[in-house]
Amino acid sequence: MSAVDSRARAATSPSKDRIPARPQKKAWLPRLMRQKKFIFAGVIIGLAIAYLIFSALQGTTMYYLTVGELKAKGEAVYTEPVRLGGKVVDGTIDFNRNSRVLKFTVTDGKESLPVAYSGVVPDAFKPDADVILEGKFNGTDFQATTLLAKCPSKYVPTGLE
Amino acid sequence: MNDVGYAALVLALLFSVYGAAVSFWGARKGLKELLESAEHAVFAVAALTTISAAALLYALISRDFSLEYVASYTNSTQDILYLIAAFYGGNQGSLLLWAWVLGIIAALVIWLHRREHGDLMPHVITVLMITEFFFITLMVVAANPFTKLGFQVADGQGLNPLLLNMGMLFHPPTLYLGYVGFAVPFAFAIAALVTGQLGDRWVKVTRRWTLFAWFFLTLGNLFGAQWAYVELGWGGFWGWDPVENASFMPWLTGTAFLHSVMIQERRGMLKVWNMVLILATFCLTIFGTFLTRSGVLSSVHSFGQSALGPYFLLFISGTLLATLSLLFYRLDDLRGDNELDSFLSRESAFLVNNLILIGAAFAVFWGTVFPIISEAVRGVKLTVGAPFFNQVNLPIFLILLTVMGICPLIGWRRASKENLLRNFMVPAAVGLASAVALMWLGVREFLTVLPLALCAFVTVTILLELVRGVRARHNLRHENYFSAIFTLIWSNKRRYGGYIVHLGVIMIAIGVIGAYGFKSEKSATLAKDDTVQIGDFVLQYKGSSNYPAKSHEVVAASLDVFEGQRRIDRLVPRKNYYPSQEQPSTEVAIRTTLREDLYVILEDVSEDGSASLKVLINPLVVWLWIGGAVLLLGTLIAFWPDAREKRRKTVVAEPQESRSLQAVGSQGGRR
Repeated sequence: MSAVDSRARAATSPSKDRIPARPQKKAWLPRLMRQKKFIFAGVIIGLAIAYLIFSALQGTTMYYLTVGELKAKGEAVYTEPVRLGGKVVDGTIDFNRNSRVLKFTVTDGKESLPVAYSGVVPDAFKPDADVILEGKFNGTDFQATTLLAKCPSKYVPTGLE
Repeated sequence: MNDVGYAALVLALLFSVYGAAVSFWGARKGLKELLESAEHAVFAVAALTTISAAALLYALISRDFSLEYVASYTNSTQDILYLIAAFYGGNQGSLLLWAWVLGIIAALVIWLHRREHGDLMPHVITVLMITEFFFITLMVVAANPFTKLGFQVADGQGLNPLLLNMGMLFHPPTLYLGYVGFAVPFAFAIAALVTGQLGDRWVKVTRRWTLFAWFFLTLGNLFGAQWAYVELGWGGFWGWDPVENASFMPWLTGTAFLHSVMIQERRGMLKVWNMVLILATFCLTIFGTFLTRSGVLSSVHSFGQSALGPYFLLFISGTLLATLSLLFYRLDDLRGDNELDSFLSRESAFLVNNLILIGAAFAVFWGTVFPIISEAVRGVKLTVGAPFFNQVNLPIFLILLTVMGICPLIGWRRASKENLLRNFMVPAAVGLASAVALMWLGVREFLTVLPLALCAFVTVTILLELVRGVRARHNLRHENYFSAIFTLIWSNKRRYGGYIVHLGVIMIAIGVIGAYGFKSEKSATLAKDDTVQIGDFVLQYKGSSNYPAKSHEVVAASLDVFEGQRRIDRLVPRKNYYPSQEQPSTEVAIRTTLREDLYVILEDVSEDGSASLKVLINPLVVWLWIGGAVLLLGTLIAFWPDAREKRRKTVVAEPQESRSLQAVGSQGGRR
């Protein structure tokens, strides 16, 4: 133990700076012990970051639901904002120019839900587009504050009818 | 041509397996012929992937709609530039780009390093060729860019209008160069582990490759932000979307790696840590490629759902498993030559920087995969959005800024407190003064004042460092101050290149703070000659116009911008309608000054001619792009070949042999 110690200490002394130390077997524990204050500091930083992540999660997580799941939750989620994914139903898009409110129906294939949204409409928003909405559900319709749209990426052969 | 392209791919697949296997065996048995043959296989792979890429490019440019890929991403009205960009517009083509770039880089690595580092080369080849094999397999098995459509179409579908932007020409290729570039340091790291050459050689060889990869990854992220800013039309440049996070995470770990290898080079420490960092960075580049095409996370930027997910997970877990077991096997040999001496040392400052960067990467990772984890653990899909990432990263990046300022003030090993305090006084005073000045100017938000004051602090530490150097040169060599700046930087390219990069980071930070701290926005629907006021500006709507362009219809609204009574500019936000896509593309109008961007989005123009607009003032955004340019300049300076380095190389003919002799000697001495 002491032999290991003194040799390791020699490696840290300034004069031996550039000389690579000999590989040693099984000298991990004493080494770690000697560096414990640095390890302790590292652990503190790690814990601080973990705490940051944990505390930020508390206020910012949202359910990500399909239309069916949202309806099943019902009253339980009336008060909290949720994220809703689905497809825009063709023929339901209605934009009121005066009130700047966009209304459409979103579906998960089985169930569907009317949506009201005011804000900038993304370019990719169109019938059958996949959308991700953020907002609140009040039991009858979904009041969206955020609308993200993704274009259907499947190949549609044009000119072939 | 298409059959040639596919055949070249299949051949490249065979050659990559052959190269990987033969160089592995050759190294084990010490057979020179096999090693040479493996090198030739790599050159063959580079040539074959080039042929394949050329075939796809030819099909795109000649608009060969018999290919599904070409028909999906080009049409008859697309410009030649976007025909080329369509190469990586879809899943299949972007995989080919990956494989092609990797093929070229692998060949380049052999050509550059085989003389000096012949002992590491076989394992480098094995790693690069296994990676190449993986990407080509994806194409051959599941995502073949040369799939035939099987029926005739009159016209292709064309690139999505959102992709028809200069950003599309620059963002993906630079990002891929960055992604692929990190495969090189990773391959050398593995080679070091396998051969047991665990000194700083692999770090020294790959320093420029790491810089290369970091340069392009940074560029790719910046181009992506700029593209989002001008094209997506919501006024921001970063939305913490999974796909954005995917390219940000390897940037964070890559940045940590870039810093911590300096400690290994200088003090022979952190050997395990560096291995872990490059492993993490490599895996994150693969993970990023996976995220954009797996469909596991909902993102507005990703490619459509594809069946590639399992392959990627297999490859990533295989890589992790293999590397970690190698690492474990070599753990005893990876002992540091030195230990940390003091908290007040540059080593520990670097370590803190590392931990914080890794912490940020982990926070971003956790937020990105949170939906998957929560679904697996709790059975419900929970997501986090921008608020989470902003909240977590704000304190992390503030500390990072602080460390960035402190680092140049601290010496290696053990800094004296008096010295540190003396160096600390001026920058800290300037930081404090700027905080007071900001408050006096009316900025009261703590979270805006603090970061800006920190930026001032860091800037002063860097400038002081420059001033000290220049003054020393002036006194010792009687150079005039002006030319001393350049000779100083030029004779210490790594060091001052690094400081210039830091200045660029500060500018980027200022841009981010401005955009989040002082942003204002307004929506309005205006009839002709109506006005809307925002900040110091008054915008007057002068009517709209419709006109056809080559591939689309344009609706444009004209706005006169007044500042006080003076008309200073005319902005014309537009909307382009693409009939082939049934989709518009919003072209925002931006008036940029060093102080702020006036950003106008045209939502629509109604039949009666009134226009609905959204107007934003985004302060200081231009500093993002200026900072980006400064940062890239600094990277180039640090990258530039050094005369001293070359001389050192020629004087010490065989650095490796002399080192091992020295090691033997010192061992003998102690025994």
